[in-house]
Amino acid sequence: MALQIPILKIEEFLIVSFQTELSDREIEELRESILEKIKEQSARGLIIDITALGVIDSFLARSLSSIASMANLLGAKTVVVGMQPAVALTLVELGLRIRWNLATALNLEKGLALLRKNLREEVTSLG
Amino acid sequence: MKKLAKEKELTEELSGLLEEHASDLKKQWVKEMTEMGLLEKLTPVEIDQQSTAIYDTCVLTLKTGVYEAAKKYAREMARKGVLEAMTVEQIIMGMLKLRDVYGRFIFSKYQGDPEKLNEVLGIYEPVANRILSIVALAFVEEREKSIKEQQRAMLALSTPVLQIRDQILALPLIGTIDSARAAQIVEQLLNSIVATQASIVIIDITGVPVIDTAVANHLIKTIQAAKMLGADTIITGISPANAQTLVTLGVDLSMMTTRSTLRAGVKLADEMLRLEVVEKK
Repeated sequence: MALQIPILKIEEFLIVSFQTELSDREIEELRESILEKIKEQSARGLIIDITALGVIDSFLARSLSSIASMANLLGAKTVVVGMQPAVALTLVELGLRIRWNLATALNLEKGLALLRKNLREEVTSLG
Repeated sequence: MKKLAKEKELTEELSGLLEEHASDLKKQWVKEMTEMGLLEKLTPVEIDQQSTAIYDTCVLTLKTGVYEAAKKYAREMARKGVLEAMTVEQIIMGMLKLRDVYGRFIFSKYQGDPEKLNEVLGIYEPVANRILSIVALAFVEEREKSIKEQQRAMLALSTPVLQIRDQILALPLIGTIDSARAAQIVEQLLNSIVATQASIVIIDITGVPVIDTAVANHLIKTIQAAKMLGADTIITGISPANAQTLVTLGVDLSMMTTRSTLRAGVKLADEMLRLEVVEKK
């Protein structure tokens, strides 16, 4: 069954919003379609919205981390937005076992601002 | 079996005697307590009510061998402060006095028959001792309960999260930080971050007397959790002594942004948000 998670585009960025908990298989499928879409749109940034998730298991945490690294190779910076306090606490407790190298922002708006800022800085540092 | 039956018989005899002489003994008891100055702040009506209630409860306990009524009464006495006008010491002294009054009464009744006196005392004394310990325990329990309640209240009061700008939260920590409190601090802080959508948190630890590895770990976890929500944390107010301890302990604080004072922390936060405070023209 095909996944029903839309990948939206705004400016040069992609937005993916998790609305329900996904199975490990679905997460892998989603990862592939996100990466495809980044390449297809030559996106410069990816925002993953997890406001609706009350639980993040170690698999999803690792997957988010690897999606970020992969997207980075394709030229897109990743920001995770809208994490719930309980989720953050769990991840910190799991902290020793999971590599978490993702940028985070409080909400979509701030996530977008962060990506724009990164983009500007990159351009100035290169130029 | 025979022994039990005899004990029962003696118990009934004794409680019967105490009931029979209730009014005399009670008067004697109240008189002695008054002489000791234990009842100064009670009205005659109160004295009469309370002494009757206590006297009856004691006799009932002796008669039935069931301590529930005594426990209930003692707890009530401790909780409601039925005898508000009396200190704990006075109440215990009063109960000891009652024990004496009973004891002397028993002596006078059975002094002609030392063997029986011995047996009656064997029945009476454990009951009297147990009642006294119930009364004392009720007060201790009550006091412990109120101490726990106060601790809880203090815990709730001890971690105010203040919003000092649209985007900046301040969390002044005062007092020692143990695991329970650390957990509460993190939770409260994270909830405030989400509620206010603030992107910078300043944790001021001027009021934390000792910072050891455990406290440092709690701080690091707090910072990480806030970071995951998307908020940066600035730690301010580490005293020179604490700085030395932390370095000596080898705690890695490289991921902490620190400033000496809360003022410097606010300034840094303003810079991070590209805010500027300018005097009005």
